[in-house]
Amino acid sequence: MNARTTKLREIAKKLLDKQKVDVVIGFKKGTIPLKNTPFFATNSEEADLLLWDGNCIGNLAAYLPKMAGKRAAIVAQGCVSRNVVGLIQEKQVDSNNIYIIGMPCTGMLDPRKIIAAVPGEITEAVEDQLYVTARGKGFEITLNRSDVLNRNCDRCTVRNPVLFDEIASEPKPELKDPVRYEKIRAIEALPPEGRAESIDELLSPCIRCYACRDACPLCYCPECFVDKSSPQWCGKSQDDRDVLSYHLIRAFHTAGRCTECGACEEVCPMGIKIRLISGKVEKDIREIFDGYEAWKDLKTPPPLTVFQRDDPQPFVKE
Amino acid sequence: MEYMRLNKKNLAAFIEELKQKCEVWGPVKEGDQVKFAPVSNVSDVDLEQFKNTTMSPKEIFFPQSEIMLSFKREGEGANIYRDEQSVPSKKAIFGIRPCDARAFRILDMIFKNDQFADNYWLTKRDAVTLVGLGCKEPCSTCFCTSVNSHPFDETGLDVMVTDLGEHYLLRVLTKKGRELLAGSHVLREPSEANIEAYKTVRKNAEDAMTVQFGTDKVNGKTVLELFNEDYWQRISEPCLNCSTCSYVCPTCHCFDIQDEVFREGGQRIRNWESCMSWIFTVHATGHNPRPGKKERVRQRFMHKFKYIPMKRDGEIGCVGCGRCVTMCPVNIDVREVVKQMNS
Amino acid sequence: MKSLLEYAGLEPGRLHFSWISSAEGEKFANFATSVVESVTALGPIKRFAKDEVSVGDRGVEL
Repeated sequence: MNARTTKLREIAKKLLDKQKVDVVIGFKKGTIPLKNTPFFATNSEEADLLLWDGNCIGNLAAYLPKMAGKRAAIVAQGCVSRNVVGLIQEKQVDSNNIYIIGMPCTGMLDPRKIIAAVPGEITEAVEDQLYVTARGKGFEITLNRSDVLNRNCDRCTVRNPVLFDEIASEPKPELKDPVRYEKIRAIEALPPEGRAESIDELLSPCIRCYACRDACPLCYCPECFVDKSSPQWCGKSQDDRDVLSYHLIRAFHTAGRCTECGACEEVCPMGIKIRLISGKVEKDIREIFDGYEAWKDLKTPPPLTVFQRDDPQPFVKE
Repeated sequence: MEYMRLNKKNLAAFIEELKQKCEVWGPVKEGDQVKFAPVSNVSDVDLEQFKNTTMSPKEIFFPQSEIMLSFKREGEGANIYRDEQSVPSKKAIFGIRPCDARAFRILDMIFKNDQFADNYWLTKRDAVTLVGLGCKEPCSTCFCTSVNSHPFDETGLDVMVTDLGEHYLLRVLTKKGRELLAGSHVLREPSEANIEAYKTVRKNAEDAMTVQFGTDKVNGKTVLELFNEDYWQRISEPCLNCSTCSYVCPTCHCFDIQDEVFREGGQRIRNWESCMSWIFTVHATGHNPRPGKKERVRQRFMHKFKYIPMKRDGEIGCVGCGRCVTMCPVNIDVREVVKQMNS
Repeated sequence: MKSLLEYAGLEPGRLHFSWISSAEGEKFANFATSVVESVTALGPIKRFAKDEVSVGDRGVEL
C-alpha cells in the first residue's frame, strides 16, 4: 500500500469517527485491472477500502452538487480541488458542508495506452512511482509511467490542490511550461474544409451516451439543453450535425470554467479525444485573457462572468 | 448434425464463394474499434486476434437511429413514404460470437410476440444468415456460463465455426445455414479426429470459465422483495447516469420515437434510449416515476434479471458478453450486482 | 464562439459581431450591408444547416 493511501485512510477514519462528516468521497479498488470505482465511505470500516493510485479516473467533484445537504469530505488532487472552488464560486455547494482532503497527484494512467502496448488481455497491472507492469497470459511488460499518462495529466501544471483542509502528503513537483495544444494548433492551421473533416472524424464514433457531460463537474444543469424537449434545441438522432452541435455547445458552456481535468475523455467509452474541442475554448480563453486558468482561488471569477470596460474583443467589428 | 471442414488457407476462397450468393460481413477494425462491416478484402478480417466487437452487433438490425418513414405536405393533403432502402439485401455475417447471437434470440422474442411484430427488426433479421465463431479463449470479463449460456452456445446461429488450428470445423445448424454452404468447392468432409478435436476445444473453453454467480435465488424472490432491497442505494452511488451500459449492451432494446419537421415535410426516427436517462421516464406533467439514480440503476438490473425471466419463461435478459463490465466509466460491475441480488 | 465555430469548419466571413447602439442608424445599415455581402459571396451554408435527417455511420446500415 502506498503512503498516500495509508494517510488518506487515517484522515477518513478520523473524520468519520469524530462525525465531522457524513461521508468521505474517494475511490476503492475496481473489479477489473486499471479501473477503480468511486466510493462513498460512511464509517471507519469502509474507510479502510479507500485508496489512491493511478487508476482514480473521473472527477469526484461532479458528485458534490447532488449530496443533498450531507457533510462530505472529498479527496481532491489539483484539478478536483479547482472544480470544488468552482462549485463554491458558482454557489452549487455550501463550503461549510465540504471538507477537502488534499491529494498531491502524479497523474492518472490511460488504460488505452497500456492496452495498446501489450499483446493480449491484461489480467493484472501494478504500478510504482516510475513504472507500470501489465501481466496477462504469456506476457509481462513494464512501461514507463510517464509514457502512459492521460493526455491531460502528462502536461498538468496544477498537481497539488489549490484549496484543502488537510493534505495527504508533501506537495509533488509541478511541471513548468509544458508543450500544450499541439494537435489543436495543427487543426487550426488547416483550411475550413480540413478543419471540418478533422472534427467530423473525431466525433464519428460518438454514441451520444453523454458520459462526457455526466462525468463533468461543470455540467450540473438540472436539465441539459440536449434533453430539453419543448422547445427541442438539438435533434436526438445520430445526424452528424446534431452530434456536432451537442459537442460544440457543451464545449462553449465550459469556456473559462474548464480545469482540464480530462474526466470527459477518461470516461468516453469510444475513446474520443473530446478535449480537442473543449481544449480549443480553454486555449482561446488562456490566450485572450492573459494566461487565465480557471479557479485557482476562491476570489477570481472566470473572465466571461464579469464585464470590464477593457475586455479584449478581437471578434468584434468596429 | 452435419459437419464440414475448411482449411484456413482456403478462407479467402470460401468468402469469395459466399459473396456470389450474398453480401458477406465480418469483424473489421476501424480506428480503435472493431465492428461488423462488409468484407471487401479478407485480409481486413483478423479472426485470430478477434475477441469481440466494440459495440454490440444489435446495431445491424436495430440501428441507433433509424428513419421509419418520411412525410410531406403535397397540395391539399399529405403523403407518407417508407424509405426505399428499408428493403434489406441478403447477407451472411461471419464471426459473430455466441453471446451476441443468443442476444438476437432474446430480442426476437421481444420484437415479435403474440401482440406485435416489429417489421423494422424482422425484415433485416430474416435477410441475415449468422455464421458464429465459438470462443476458444473467453476473456476474463466474460460470464456467459453464469447466465445459462456457454462459449459454444448455438442458440440463434445458423452455422457454428470452431477454430481447430489448421482448420475450421463448421457445424450446420439450420436450413438457412445449409443453403449458405451448399455447393461450396472448398469445404471438405471432416475426419473423426476433427470432430473429436472440436469436442475437446469446446470442453476446454467451457471448463476454463468458472460460473461466477447463480440466479436461482433471484428467481425465488418476489419482485417486491428485490425491489425494496437496501443495496440499490449503494450500488447506484457511483453511477453517472450516462447511457454507456445500455448502448453497448446486446440485449438493451428501448427506443424513443422522434418526428423532425423541416418546412413542408419531415421524418420519423427511432433512436436508442436508455433507462439510465432521467428523460426516459419523465411524464408530460413533469412527474418522474424514476426520479433518481437509485431507481434507474435498479430498473436496469431488475429488467434483465427479474422482469425478462418472468415474462419469457426463465430466459435471462443478459448474455454475459461483459461489454458493460469493461466499458462502464465508474466500474459498476453487473457480476457484483447479481451476486448481491442472489444473496 | 466565432473562434470555436470556425475551428469546427465554419467559413470565416459567415459570422459577424459588432457593438451598435440604437442611436447609430448609419453604422447599423453599413454593418448589415457588409454582412449580407460577405455571406452572399460564400453562398448557401452546407456544414451546419439541416433540412433533413441523415443518420450516417451509426444509422441505417442495411
